[in-house]
Amino acid sequence: MKDLWTASLALIRDTFREAFARKIFWGLFGLSVLMILFFLFLLKIDLVEGGLAAISLFGRTANPATDVDRLVRGVYGGIATFLYTWGMAIAVFASAGLIPSVLEPGRIELLLSKPVSRTHILLGRYVGNVLVVACNIVFLVLGVWTILGAKTGIWSKTFLISIATTVFAFAVLLSVVVFIGVLFESTALSTMVAVALMIMSPILAQTSVMLRLLSSEWSRQIWRTLYYALPKVYDLGKMTLDAIQSRTFEGYMPIWTSALFGAVVLAGALAIFVRRDF
Amino acid sequence: MQSEYAIETSSLTKVYRSRWKRREVRAVDGITLNVPRGTIFGLLGPNGAGKTTFVKLLLSAVHPTNGNALLFGRDAREAEARRPIGYLPENHRFPTYFTGAGMLDFYAALSGMESSQRKKLIPEHLDLVGLDKWGDMRIGKYSKGMLQRLGLAQALIHSPSLLILDEPTDGVDPVGRRQIRDVLTRFEEKGVTIFINSHLLAEVETFCRQVAILHKGKVALSGTMQDLTAGKGYRLSVAQAPAALMEELRTKAASMASRDGLCDFQFATREQVNEAIDLLRAQRCDIEALVPTTSTLEEVFVRTVEK
Repeated sequence: MKDLWTASLALIRDTFREAFARKIFWGLFGLSVLMILFFLFLLKIDLVEGGLAAISLFGRTANPATDVDRLVRGVYGGIATFLYTWGMAIAVFASAGLIPSVLEPGRIELLLSKPVSRTHILLGRYVGNVLVVACNIVFLVLGVWTILGAKTGIWSKTFLISIATTVFAFAVLLSVVVFIGVLFESTALSTMVAVALMIMSPILAQTSVMLRLLSSEWSRQIWRTLYYALPKVYDLGKMTLDAIQSRTFEGYMPIWTSALFGAVVLAGALAIFVRRDF
Repeated sequence: MQSEYAIETSSLTKVYRSRWKRREVRAVDGITLNVPRGTIFGLLGPNGAGKTTFVKLLLSAVHPTNGNALLFGRDAREAEARRPIGYLPENHRFPTYFTGAGMLDFYAALSGMESSQRKKLIPEHLDLVGLDKWGDMRIGKYSKGMLQRLGLAQALIHSPSLLILDEPTDGVDPVGRRQIRDVLTRFEEKGVTIFINSHLLAEVETFCRQVAILHKGKVALSGTMQDLTAGKGYRLSVAQAPAALMEELRTKAASMASRDGLCDFQFATREQVNEAIDLLRAQRCDIEALVPTTSTLEEVFVRTVEK
Protein backbone atom coordinates (compact mmCIF):
# COMPACT_ATOMS: atom_id res chain seq x y z
CA MET A 1 0.00 0.00 0.00
CA LYS A 2 2.86 2.34 0.86
CA ASP A 3 4.53 1.50 -2.47
CA LEU A 4 1.30 2.36 -4.25
CA TRP A 5 1.17 5.73 -2.54
CA THR A 6 4.86 6.46 -3.28
CA ALA A 7 4.38 5.59 -6.95
CA SER A 8 1.16 7.64 -7.19
CA LEU A 9 2.86 10.69 -5.71
CA ALA A 10 5.78 10.23 -8.10
CA LEU A 11 3.43 10.14 -11.11
CA ILE A 12 1.55 13.24 -9.94
CA ARG A 13 4.79 15.09 -9.19
CA ASP A 14 6.09 14.13 -12.64
CA THR A 15 3.00 15.65 -14.29
CA PHE A 16 3.59 18.88 -12.36
CA ARG A 17 7.28 18.81 -13.30
CA GLU A 18 6.39 18.43 -16.97
CA ALA A 19 3.72 21.14 -16.71
CA PHE A 20 6.35 23.46 -15.23
CA ALA A 21 8.92 22.54 -17.89
CA ARG A 22 6.47 23.04 -20.75
CA LYS A 23 5.51 26.39 -19.21
CA ILE A 24 1.92 25.13 -18.92
CA PHE A 25 1.73 25.73 -15.20
CA TRP A 26 3.40 29.11 -15.39
CA GLY A 27 1.32 30.05 -18.45
CA LEU A 28 -1.91 29.35 -16.58
CA PHE A 29 -0.53 31.00 -13.46
CA GLY A 30 0.53 34.07 -15.45
CA LEU A 31 -2.95 34.41 -16.97
CA SER A 32 -4.48 34.06 -13.51
CA VAL A 33 -2.21 36.80 -12.17
CA LEU A 34 -3.14 39.05 -15.10
CA MET A 35 -6.81 38.45 -14.38
CA ILE A 36 -6.34 39.24 -10.68
CA LEU A 37 -4.38 42.38 -11.56
CA PHE A 38 -7.26 43.39 -13.80
CA PHE A 39 -9.67 43.09 -10.90
CA LEU A 40 -7.26 44.96 -8.65
CA PHE A 41 -7.42 47.72 -11.23
CA LEU A 42 -11.20 47.64 -10.92
CA LEU A 43 -10.73 48.59 -7.26
CA LYS A 44 -10.01 52.05 -8.56
CA ILE A 45 -13.55 52.22 -9.91
CA ASP A 46 -16.26 52.58 -7.33
CA LEU A 47 -18.21 49.57 -8.42
CA VAL A 48 -21.02 49.97 -5.90
CA GLU A 49 -21.58 53.68 -6.22
CA GLY A 50 -21.14 53.45 -9.99
CA GLY A 51 -23.67 50.62 -10.20
CA LEU A 52 -26.23 52.43 -8.11
CA ALA A 53 -25.76 55.58 -10.17
CA ALA A 54 -26.37 53.55 -13.30
CA ILE A 55 -29.63 52.23 -11.83
CA SER A 56 -30.72 55.80 -11.06
CA LEU A 57 -29.94 56.81 -14.63
CA PHE A 58 -32.86 54.70 -15.78
CA GLY A 59 -35.25 56.66 -13.57
CA ARG A 60 -35.42 54.06 -10.79
CA THR A 61 -34.88 54.80 -7.17
CA ALA A 62 -32.09 52.62 -5.94
CA ASN A 63 -32.58 50.59 -2.80
CA PRO A 64 -28.98 50.34 -1.59
CA ALA A 65 -29.45 47.19 0.47
CA THR A 66 -31.07 44.93 -2.15
CA ASP A 67 -29.77 46.50 -5.33
CA VAL A 68 -26.14 46.42 -4.24
CA ASP A 69 -26.46 42.77 -3.30
CA ARG A 70 -28.09 41.96 -6.64
CA LEU A 71 -25.54 44.01 -8.53
CA VAL A 72 -22.57 42.35 -6.87
CA ARG A 73 -24.05 38.90 -7.38
CA GLY A 74 -24.51 39.82 -11.04
CA VAL A 75 -20.84 40.79 -11.24
CA TYR A 76 -19.83 37.57 -9.48
CA GLY A 77 -22.00 35.59 -11.91
CA GLY A 78 -20.53 37.32 -14.95
CA ILE A 79 -17.01 36.72 -13.75
CA ALA A 80 -17.74 33.08 -12.90
CA THR A 81 -19.17 32.49 -16.38
CA PHE A 82 -16.13 34.15 -17.96
CA LEU A 83 -13.68 32.13 -15.88
CA TYR A 84 -15.62 28.91 -16.41
CA THR A 85 -15.75 29.22 -20.20
CA TRP A 86 -12.35 30.66 -21.02
CA GLY A 87 -10.47 29.16 -18.11
CA MET A 88 -11.56 25.70 -19.13
CA ALA A 89 -10.84 26.23 -22.83
CA ILE A 90 -7.33 27.45 -22.03
CA ALA A 91 -6.79 24.58 -19.60
CA VAL A 92 -7.80 22.03 -22.26
CA PHE A 93 -5.51 23.62 -24.85
CA ALA A 94 -2.63 23.82 -22.39
CA SER A 95 -2.77 20.36 -20.94
CA ALA A 96 -3.78 18.21 -23.93
CA GLY A 97 -0.13 17.36 -24.66
CA LEU A 98 0.56 15.91 -21.24
CA ILE A 99 -1.02 12.54 -22.09
CA PRO A 100 0.50 11.75 -25.52
CA SER A 101 3.95 12.83 -24.27
CA VAL A 102 4.05 9.99 -21.79
CA LEU A 103 3.32 7.45 -24.55
CA GLU A 104 6.39 8.39 -26.60
CA PRO A 105 8.52 5.39 -27.62
CA GLY A 106 11.57 5.14 -25.39
CA ARG A 107 9.68 6.66 -22.47
CA ILE A 108 6.65 4.44 -22.08
CA GLU A 109 8.67 1.18 -22.10
CA LEU A 110 10.67 2.33 -19.11
CA LEU A 111 7.52 3.32 -17.22
CA LEU A 112 5.94 -0.05 -18.01
CA SER A 113 9.04 -1.88 -16.74
CA LYS A 114 8.36 -0.58 -13.22
CA PRO A 115 6.19 -2.53 -10.75
CA VAL A 116 3.24 -0.26 -11.38
CA SER A 117 0.09 -1.32 -13.23
CA ARG A 118 -0.87 0.41 -16.45
CA THR A 119 -4.13 1.58 -14.89
CA HIS A 120 -2.12 3.19 -12.12
CA ILE A 121 0.19 4.95 -14.59
CA LEU A 122 -2.65 6.46 -16.62
CA LEU A 123 -4.75 7.42 -13.60
CA GLY A 124 -1.69 8.99 -11.95
CA ARG A 125 -1.16 11.10 -15.04
CA TYR A 126 -4.86 12.00 -15.21
CA VAL A 127 -5.06 13.03 -11.56
CA GLY A 128 -1.81 15.01 -11.88
CA ASN A 129 -3.23 16.85 -14.87
CA VAL A 130 -6.48 17.69 -13.06
CA LEU A 131 -4.49 18.93 -10.04
CA VAL A 132 -2.30 21.20 -12.21
CA VAL A 133 -5.44 22.92 -13.51
CA ALA A 134 -7.20 22.82 -10.12
CA CYS A 135 -4.29 24.66 -8.45
CA ASN A 136 -4.58 27.47 -10.96
CA ILE A 137 -8.36 27.66 -10.77
CA VAL A 138 -8.30 27.78 -6.95
CA PHE A 139 -5.69 30.54 -7.08
CA LEU A 140 -7.64 32.54 -9.66
CA VAL A 141 -11.10 32.22 -8.12
CA LEU A 142 -9.87 32.86 -4.57
CA GLY A 143 -7.90 35.87 -5.82
CA VAL A 144 -10.86 37.39 -7.63
CA TRP A 145 -13.20 36.55 -4.72
CA THR A 146 -10.89 38.26 -2.22
CA ILE A 147 -10.65 41.40 -4.33
CA LEU A 148 -14.39 41.62 -4.99
CA GLY A 149 -15.21 40.82 -1.37
CA ALA A 150 -12.79 43.45 -0.08
CA LYS A 151 -14.18 46.01 -2.52
CA THR A 152 -17.89 45.42 -2.06
CA GLY A 153 -18.02 44.01 1.44
CA ILE A 154 -20.18 41.19 0.07
CA TRP A 155 -18.48 37.82 0.39
CA SER A 156 -20.52 35.57 -1.89
CA LYS A 157 -19.57 32.07 -0.81
CA THR A 158 -21.55 30.62 -3.69
CA PHE A 159 -18.98 32.19 -6.06
CA LEU A 160 -16.55 29.57 -4.76
CA ILE A 161 -18.79 26.88 -6.28
CA SER A 162 -17.23 27.85 -9.61
CA ILE A 163 -13.99 26.19 -8.40
CA ALA A 164 -15.76 22.85 -8.09
CA THR A 165 -17.79 23.13 -11.31
CA THR A 166 -14.84 24.33 -13.43
CA VAL A 167 -12.54 21.60 -12.14
CA PHE A 168 -15.31 19.01 -12.56
CA ALA A 169 -16.09 20.05 -16.14
CA PHE A 170 -12.36 20.10 -16.94
CA ALA A 171 -11.98 16.60 -15.46
CA VAL A 172 -14.81 15.35 -17.71
CA LEU A 173 -13.26 16.94 -20.82
CA LEU A 174 -9.84 15.63 -19.83
CA SER A 175 -11.22 12.10 -19.94
CA VAL A 176 -11.91 12.73 -23.64
CA VAL A 177 -8.39 14.10 -24.10
CA VAL A 178 -7.00 10.97 -22.42
CA PHE A 179 -9.15 8.66 -24.55
CA ILE A 180 -8.14 10.28 -27.85
CA GLY A 181 -4.55 10.58 -26.64
CA VAL A 182 -4.31 6.87 -25.83
CA LEU A 183 -6.05 5.85 -29.04
CA PHE A 184 -4.30 8.12 -31.54
CA GLU A 185 -1.41 9.72 -29.57
CA SER A 186 -2.40 13.05 -31.10
CA THR A 187 -2.45 16.23 -29.05
CA ALA A 188 -4.14 18.20 -31.84
CA LEU A 189 -6.95 15.68 -32.26
CA SER A 190 -7.49 15.44 -28.48
CA THR A 191 -7.85 19.22 -28.26
CA MET A 192 -10.15 19.39 -31.28
CA VAL A 193 -12.56 16.81 -29.90
CA ALA A 194 -12.65 18.35 -26.41
CA VAL A 195 -13.26 21.84 -27.79
CA ALA A 196 -15.90 20.48 -30.17
CA LEU A 197 -17.74 19.03 -27.17
CA MET A 198 -17.56 22.42 -25.46
CA ILE A 199 -18.96 24.14 -28.54
CA MET A 200 -21.71 21.56 -29.05
CA SER A 201 -22.86 21.78 -25.45
CA PRO A 202 -24.78 25.12 -25.58
CA ILE A 203 -26.37 24.04 -28.88
CA LEU A 204 -27.51 20.69 -27.53
CA ALA A 205 -28.76 22.41 -24.38
CA GLN A 206 -31.54 24.04 -26.43
CA THR A 207 -33.38 20.72 -26.27
CA SER A 208 -36.89 22.01 -25.58
CA VAL A 209 -36.73 24.41 -28.56
CA MET A 210 -35.13 21.87 -30.90
CA LEU A 211 -37.55 19.10 -30.04
CA ARG A 212 -40.36 21.39 -31.17
CA LEU A 213 -38.55 22.37 -34.36
CA LEU A 214 -37.42 18.90 -35.47
CA SER A 215 -40.02 17.28 -37.70
CA SER A 216 -39.28 13.55 -37.43
CA GLU A 217 -39.29 11.36 -34.33
CA TRP A 218 -35.93 9.73 -35.15
CA SER A 219 -34.19 13.11 -35.42
CA ARG A 220 -35.71 14.13 -32.09
CA GLN A 221 -34.46 10.84 -30.64
CA ILE A 222 -30.94 11.47 -31.95
CA TRP A 223 -30.98 14.96 -30.44
CA ARG A 224 -32.16 13.62 -27.08
CA THR A 225 -29.51 10.86 -27.12
CA LEU A 226 -26.74 13.31 -27.92
CA TYR A 227 -27.91 15.71 -25.26
CA TYR A 228 -28.11 13.11 -22.51
CA ALA A 229 -24.99 11.18 -23.53
CA LEU A 230 -22.51 14.03 -24.03
CA PRO A 231 -21.05 16.15 -21.22
CA LYS A 232 -23.18 19.15 -20.33
CA VAL A 233 -20.55 21.84 -20.10
CA TYR A 234 -23.08 24.60 -20.80
CA ASP A 235 -25.64 23.32 -18.28
CA LEU A 236 -22.96 23.05 -15.60
CA GLY A 237 -21.96 26.65 -16.25
CA LYS A 238 -25.59 27.73 -16.05
CA MET A 239 -26.02 25.83 -12.79
CA THR A 240 -23.01 27.69 -11.38
CA LEU A 241 -24.50 31.02 -12.43
CA ASP A 242 -27.87 30.13 -10.95
CA ALA A 243 -26.25 29.12 -7.67
CA ILE A 244 -24.23 32.35 -7.48
CA GLN A 245 -27.28 34.46 -8.23
CA SER A 246 -29.37 32.48 -5.74
CA ARG A 247 -31.71 31.22 -8.45
CA THR A 248 -33.15 27.74 -8.37
CA PHE A 249 -32.00 25.22 -10.96
CA GLU A 250 -33.66 22.15 -12.40
CA GLY A 251 -32.10 19.16 -10.69
CA TYR A 252 -28.63 17.65 -10.77
CA MET A 253 -28.99 15.72 -14.03
CA PRO A 254 -26.20 17.67 -15.82
CA ILE A 255 -23.79 16.71 -13.03
CA TRP A 256 -24.42 13.00 -12.89
CA THR A 257 -24.79 12.47 -16.65
CA SER A 258 -21.53 14.37 -17.25
CA ALA A 259 -19.83 12.39 -14.49
CA LEU A 260 -21.12 9.17 -16.04
CA PHE A 261 -19.84 10.24 -19.46
CA GLY A 262 -16.42 11.06 -17.99
CA ALA A 263 -16.26 7.76 -16.11
CA VAL A 264 -17.23 5.69 -19.17
CA VAL A 265 -14.77 7.48 -21.46
CA LEU A 266 -11.97 7.21 -18.91
CA ALA A 267 -12.73 3.51 -18.42
CA GLY A 268 -12.55 3.12 -22.21
CA ALA A 269 -9.19 4.88 -22.29
CA LEU A 270 -7.90 2.59 -19.52
CA ALA A 271 -9.17 -0.52 -21.33
CA ILE A 272 -7.33 0.52 -24.51
CA PHE A 273 -4.17 1.46 -22.62
CA VAL A 274 -4.08 -1.84 -20.73
CA ARG A 275 -4.39 -3.87 -23.95
CA ARG A 276 -2.03 -1.89 -26.15
CA ASP A 277 1.41 -3.04 -27.24
CA PHE A 278 4.23 -0.51 -26.93
CA MET B 1 7.57 -19.19 -5.51
CA GLN B 2 11.34 -19.65 -5.80
CA SER B 3 12.67 -20.61 -9.18
CA GLU B 4 16.19 -21.51 -10.18
CA TYR B 5 15.72 -19.38 -13.26
CA ALA B 6 15.58 -15.62 -13.48
CA ILE B 7 13.81 -15.86 -16.83
CA GLU B 8 11.75 -18.78 -18.15
CA THR B 9 9.80 -18.57 -21.35
CA SER B 10 7.68 -21.29 -22.82
CA SER B 11 6.62 -21.22 -26.49
CA LEU B 12 6.56 -17.44 -26.26
CA THR B 13 5.07 -16.05 -29.44
CA LYS B 14 4.22 -12.60 -30.68
CA VAL B 15 2.41 -12.14 -33.96
CA TYR B 16 1.79 -8.62 -35.21
CA ARG B 17 -1.18 -8.30 -37.50
CA SER B 18 -1.81 -5.29 -39.67
CA ARG B 19 -5.25 -3.87 -38.98
CA TRP B 20 -6.67 -3.92 -42.50
CA LYS B 21 -4.55 -6.20 -44.67
CA ARG B 22 -4.58 -9.09 -42.22
CA ARG B 23 -0.89 -9.53 -42.86
CA GLU B 24 1.02 -11.36 -40.15
CA VAL B 25 4.54 -10.87 -38.88
CA ARG B 26 5.81 -13.46 -36.42
CA ALA B 27 8.25 -11.28 -34.49
CA VAL B 28 8.81 -13.93 -31.81
CA ASP B 29 8.03 -17.48 -32.78
CA GLY B 30 7.67 -20.01 -29.98
CA ILE B 31 10.74 -19.16 -27.95
CA THR B 32 11.49 -21.45 -25.02
CA LEU B 33 14.45 -20.15 -23.08
CA ASN B 34 15.73 -20.48 -19.53
CA VAL B 35 18.16 -18.02 -18.01
CA PRO B 36 19.62 -19.31 -14.72
CA ARG B 37 19.99 -16.95 -11.77
CA GLY B 38 23.30 -15.20 -11.36
CA THR B 39 24.54 -15.59 -14.92
CA ILE B 40 25.36 -13.04 -17.58
CA PHE B 41 23.27 -13.90 -20.59
CA GLY B 42 23.69 -12.42 -24.04
CA LEU B 43 20.87 -12.28 -26.57
CA LEU B 44 22.16 -11.90 -30.10
CA GLY B 45 20.60 -11.72 -33.49
CA PRO B 46 20.58 -9.76 -36.72
CA ASN B 47 18.28 -6.75 -37.13
CA GLY B 48 14.64 -7.81 -37.08
CA ALA B 49 15.39 -11.12 -35.38
CA GLY B 50 12.90 -10.33 -32.60
CA LYS B 51 15.32 -9.43 -29.80
CA THR B 52 13.62 -6.21 -28.74
CA THR B 53 10.14 -7.75 -28.98
CA PHE B 54 11.36 -10.61 -26.80
CA VAL B 55 12.60 -8.13 -24.17
CA LYS B 56 9.32 -6.19 -24.37
CA LEU B 57 7.43 -9.44 -23.82
CA LEU B 58 9.46 -10.04 -20.67
CA LEU B 59 8.55 -6.57 -19.43
CA SER B 60 4.91 -6.88 -20.47
CA ALA B 61 5.18 -3.81 -22.70
CA VAL B 62 3.97 -6.17 -25.43
CA HIS B 63 1.33 -8.85 -24.86
CA PRO B 64 2.12 -12.39 -26.04
CA THR B 65 0.00 -14.00 -28.74
CA ASN B 66 0.85 -17.36 -27.27
CA GLY B 67 3.02 -18.92 -24.58
CA ASN B 68 4.15 -17.34 -21.37
CA ALA B 69 7.09 -15.74 -19.60
CA LEU B 70 8.08 -16.06 -15.96
CA LEU B 71 10.41 -13.80 -14.02
CA PHE B 72 11.79 -15.54 -10.93
CA GLY B 73 8.83 -17.90 -11.19
CA ARG B 74 6.15 -15.17 -11.40
CA ASP B 75 4.02 -14.45 -14.42
CA ALA B 76 5.70 -11.54 -16.22
CA ARG B 77 2.31 -9.90 -16.76
CA GLU B 78 1.95 -9.20 -13.03
CA ALA B 79 3.21 -5.76 -12.05
CA GLU B 80 4.80 -7.29 -8.94
CA ALA B 81 6.94 -9.61 -11.11
CA ARG B 82 8.78 -6.51 -12.36
CA ARG B 83 9.82 -5.33 -8.90
CA PRO B 84 13.21 -7.14 -8.94
CA ILE B 85 14.00 -5.91 -12.45
CA GLY B 86 16.21 -3.08 -13.59
CA TYR B 87 15.78 -2.16 -17.23
CA LEU B 88 17.73 0.05 -19.58
CA PRO B 89 15.88 0.44 -22.89
CA GLU B 90 17.45 0.93 -26.28
CA ASN B 91 16.72 4.35 -27.82
CA HIS B 92 15.49 5.62 -24.49
CA ARG B 93 13.93 9.05 -24.36
CA PHE B 94 14.30 10.30 -20.82
CA PRO B 95 12.26 13.49 -20.29
CA THR B 96 14.71 16.38 -20.67
CA TYR B 97 13.07 18.40 -17.88
CA PHE B 98 14.66 16.09 -15.32
CA THR B 99 17.98 16.72 -13.66
CA GLY B 100 20.12 13.59 -13.30
CA ALA B 101 19.21 13.30 -9.62
CA GLY B 102 15.54 14.11 -10.34
CA MET B 103 15.32 11.34 -12.90
CA LEU B 104 16.78 8.77 -10.51
CA ASP B 105 14.38 9.98 -7.82
CA PHE B 106 11.34 9.55 -10.11
CA TYR B 107 12.15 6.05 -11.33
CA ALA B 108 13.27 4.91 -7.87
CA ALA B 109 9.94 6.13 -6.44
CA LEU B 110 8.09 4.17 -9.12
CA SER B 111 10.03 1.12 -7.96
CA GLY B 112 8.55 1.70 -4.51
CA MET B 113 11.62 3.14 -2.77
CA GLU B 114 10.94 5.45 0.12
CA SER B 115 12.12 9.04 0.14
CA SER B 116 14.83 8.52 2.79
CA GLN B 117 16.29 5.57 0.86
CA ARG B 118 16.25 7.55 -2.36
CA LYS B 119 18.04 10.50 -0.78
CA LYS B 120 20.79 8.17 0.40
CA LEU B 121 21.17 6.10 -2.76
CA ILE B 122 20.91 8.76 -5.48
CA PRO B 123 24.35 10.36 -4.81
CA GLU B 124 25.89 6.88 -4.45
CA HIS B 125 24.56 5.76 -7.83
CA LEU B 126 25.49 8.98 -9.59
CA ASP B 127 28.98 8.41 -8.23
CA LEU B 128 28.90 4.78 -9.34
CA VAL B 129 28.43 5.78 -12.99
CA GLY B 130 30.76 8.77 -12.81
CA LEU B 131 28.05 11.45 -12.87
CA ASP B 132 28.40 12.70 -9.29
CA LYS B 133 29.17 16.24 -10.46
CA TRP B 134 26.28 16.28 -12.92
CA GLY B 135 23.36 15.37 -10.67
CA ASP B 136 21.88 18.88 -10.59
CA MET B 137 22.23 19.46 -14.32
CA ARG B 138 19.23 19.10 -16.64
CA ILE B 139 19.68 15.93 -18.66
CA GLY B 140 18.94 17.83 -21.86
CA LYS B 141 22.56 18.92 -21.57
CA TYR B 142 23.93 15.37 -21.17
CA SER B 143 25.88 13.63 -23.94
CA LYS B 144 24.67 10.28 -25.32
CA GLY B 145 27.22 8.42 -23.22
CA MET B 146 26.23 10.29 -20.05
CA LEU B 147 22.56 9.50 -20.69
CA GLN B 148 23.45 5.86 -21.11
CA ARG B 149 25.32 5.83 -17.80
CA LEU B 150 22.45 7.66 -16.09
CA GLY B 151 20.07 5.09 -17.56
CA LEU B 152 22.23 2.37 -16.07
CA ALA B 153 22.14 4.07 -12.65
CA GLN B 154 18.34 4.23 -13.00
CA ALA B 155 18.26 0.49 -13.68
CA LEU B 156 20.47 -0.26 -10.66
CA ILE B 157 19.21 2.10 -7.96
CA HIS B 158 16.57 -0.20 -6.47
CA SER B 159 19.05 -3.11 -6.15
CA PRO B 160 17.45 -5.37 -8.77
CA SER B 161 18.06 -9.11 -8.97
CA LEU B 162 17.75 -9.09 -12.75
CA LEU B 163 19.16 -6.45 -15.06
CA ILE B 164 17.78 -6.30 -18.58
CA LEU B 165 19.99 -4.11 -20.72
CA ASP B 166 19.15 -3.29 -24.32
CA GLU B 167 22.33 -2.21 -26.14
CA PRO B 168 23.89 -0.89 -22.90
CA THR B 169 27.07 0.49 -24.48
CA ASP B 170 25.44 1.97 -27.56
CA GLY B 171 26.92 5.42 -28.22
CA VAL B 172 29.35 5.15 -25.32
CA ASP B 173 33.07 5.87 -25.86
CA PRO B 174 35.64 3.15 -25.01
CA VAL B 175 36.35 4.61 -21.56
CA GLY B 176 32.63 4.79 -20.74
CA ARG B 177 32.20 1.26 -22.05
CA ARG B 178 34.90 0.03 -19.75
CA GLN B 179 33.24 1.86 -16.86
CA ILE B 180 29.89 0.24 -17.63
CA ARG B 181 31.53 -3.19 -17.84
CA ASP B 182 33.21 -2.63 -14.47
CA VAL B 183 29.90 -1.65 -12.87
CA LEU B 184 28.19 -4.70 -14.33
CA THR B 185 31.00 -6.97 -13.17
CA ARG B 186 30.54 -5.64 -9.65
CA PHE B 187 26.83 -6.46 -9.79
CA GLU B 188 27.52 -9.89 -11.25
CA GLU B 189 29.72 -10.60 -8.23
CA LYS B 190 26.75 -9.74 -6.02
CA GLY B 191 24.75 -12.46 -7.78
CA VAL B 192 22.65 -10.22 -10.00
CA THR B 193 21.47 -11.88 -13.23
CA ILE B 194 22.39 -9.76 -16.23
CA PHE B 195 20.53 -10.14 -19.51
CA ILE B 196 22.14 -8.22 -22.35
CA ASN B 197 20.58 -7.61 -25.72
CA SER B 198 23.37 -6.46 -27.98
CA HIS B 199 24.73 -6.57 -31.48
CA LEU B 200 28.30 -5.96 -30.32
CA LEU B 201 29.56 -9.53 -30.61
CA ALA B 202 33.03 -8.89 -29.22
CA GLU B 203 31.54 -7.35 -26.14
CA VAL B 204 29.09 -10.18 -25.60
CA GLU B 205 31.90 -12.69 -26.15
CA THR B 206 34.12 -11.19 -23.47
CA PHE B 207 31.37 -10.49 -20.99
CA CYS B 208 28.62 -13.10 -21.23
CA ARG B 209 28.66 -16.64 -19.86
CA GLN B 210 25.66 -17.85 -21.85
CA VAL B 211 24.34 -16.83 -25.22
CA ALA B 212 21.27 -17.33 -27.40
CA ILE B 213 21.18 -16.33 -31.03
CA LEU B 214 17.77 -15.36 -32.36
CA HIS B 215 17.00 -15.62 -36.04
CA LYS B 216 13.63 -14.94 -37.65
CA GLY B 217 11.94 -14.91 -34.25
CA LYS B 218 13.32 -18.30 -33.16
CA VAL B 219 16.23 -19.43 -31.05
CA ALA B 220 18.67 -20.60 -33.68
CA LEU B 221 21.42 -21.49 -31.23
CA SER B 222 21.94 -21.30 -27.48
CA GLY B 223 24.44 -22.53 -24.94
CA THR B 224 27.38 -21.50 -22.82
CA MET B 225 29.94 -19.28 -24.43
CA GLN B 226 32.57 -21.98 -23.91
CA ASP B 227 30.53 -24.59 -25.77
CA LEU B 228 29.55 -22.31 -28.61
CA THR B 229 33.07 -21.14 -29.30
CA ALA B 230 34.60 -24.60 -28.88
CA GLY B 231 35.50 -24.99 -32.54
CA LYS B 232 39.04 -25.53 -31.33
CA GLY B 233 42.06 -26.53 -33.37
CA TYR B 234 45.48 -25.44 -34.59
CA ARG B 235 46.53 -23.21 -37.42
CA LEU B 236 49.82 -24.19 -39.07
CA SER B 237 51.41 -21.56 -41.30
CA VAL B 238 53.87 -22.76 -43.93
CA ALA B 239 55.90 -20.56 -46.30
CA GLN B 240 57.24 -22.99 -48.84
CA ALA B 241 56.85 -26.72 -49.37
CA PRO B 242 56.89 -29.11 -52.32
CA ALA B 243 53.58 -29.21 -54.19
CA ALA B 244 53.01 -32.87 -53.38
CA LEU B 245 53.47 -32.26 -49.69
CA MET B 246 51.19 -29.25 -49.86
CA GLU B 247 48.54 -31.41 -51.49
CA GLU B 248 48.99 -34.10 -48.82
CA LEU B 249 48.63 -31.53 -46.03
CA ARG B 250 45.56 -30.09 -47.70
CA THR B 251 43.85 -33.46 -47.63
CA LYS B 252 44.69 -33.96 -43.95
CA ALA B 253 43.67 -30.44 -42.86
CA ALA B 254 40.15 -29.28 -42.10
CA SER B 255 40.73 -26.23 -44.27
CA MET B 256 43.44 -24.35 -46.07
CA ALA B 257 43.77 -20.66 -46.88
CA SER B 258 46.51 -18.59 -48.54
CA ARG B 259 47.56 -15.15 -47.35
CA ASP B 260 50.69 -13.03 -47.83
CA GLY B 261 52.67 -15.86 -49.39
CA LEU B 262 51.80 -18.22 -46.55
CA CYS B 263 49.57 -21.24 -46.53
CA ASP B 264 47.42 -21.63 -43.40
CA PHE B 265 46.28 -25.17 -42.63
CA GLN B 266 43.61 -25.65 -40.02
CA PHE B 267 43.79 -28.94 -38.07
CA ALA B 268 41.15 -30.10 -35.67
CA THR B 269 43.32 -32.20 -33.29
CA ARG B 270 46.76 -32.16 -31.78
CA GLU B 271 47.58 -35.56 -33.38
CA GLN B 272 46.76 -34.26 -36.84
CA VAL B 273 48.91 -31.15 -36.45
CA ASN B 274 51.80 -33.21 -35.02
CA GLU B 275 51.62 -35.51 -38.01
CA ALA B 276 51.70 -32.49 -40.34
CA ILE B 277 54.72 -31.07 -38.50
CA ASP B 278 56.52 -34.42 -38.83
CA LEU B 279 55.90 -34.44 -42.58
CA LEU B 280 57.16 -30.89 -42.99
CA ARG B 281 60.26 -31.43 -40.86
CA ALA B 282 61.06 -34.66 -42.71
CA GLN B 283 61.36 -32.59 -45.86
CA ARG B 284 63.18 -29.75 -44.00
CA CYS B 285 60.41 -27.27 -44.68
CA ASP B 286 60.11 -24.17 -42.49
CA ILE B 287 57.15 -23.72 -40.22
CA GLU B 288 56.31 -20.02 -39.92
CA ALA B 289 53.74 -20.28 -37.12
CA LEU B 290 51.67 -22.71 -35.09
CA VAL B 291 48.69 -21.14 -33.32
CA PRO B 292 45.97 -22.80 -31.26
CA THR B 293 42.58 -21.46 -32.42
CA THR B 294 38.97 -21.29 -31.26
CA SER B 295 35.87 -20.25 -33.19
CA THR B 296 35.02 -16.65 -32.48
CA LEU B 297 31.47 -15.79 -31.57
CA GLU B 298 31.32 -13.80 -34.77
CA GLU B 299 32.04 -16.94 -36.80
CA VAL B 300 29.40 -18.85 -34.87
CA PHE B 301 26.94 -16.00 -35.33
CA VAL B 302 27.52 -15.69 -39.07
CA ARG B 303 27.29 -19.44 -39.55
CA THR B 304 24.04 -19.54 -37.59
CA VAL B 305 22.22 -16.73 -39.35
CA GLU B 306 23.44 -17.76 -42.81
CA LYS B 307 22.16 -21.28 -42.47
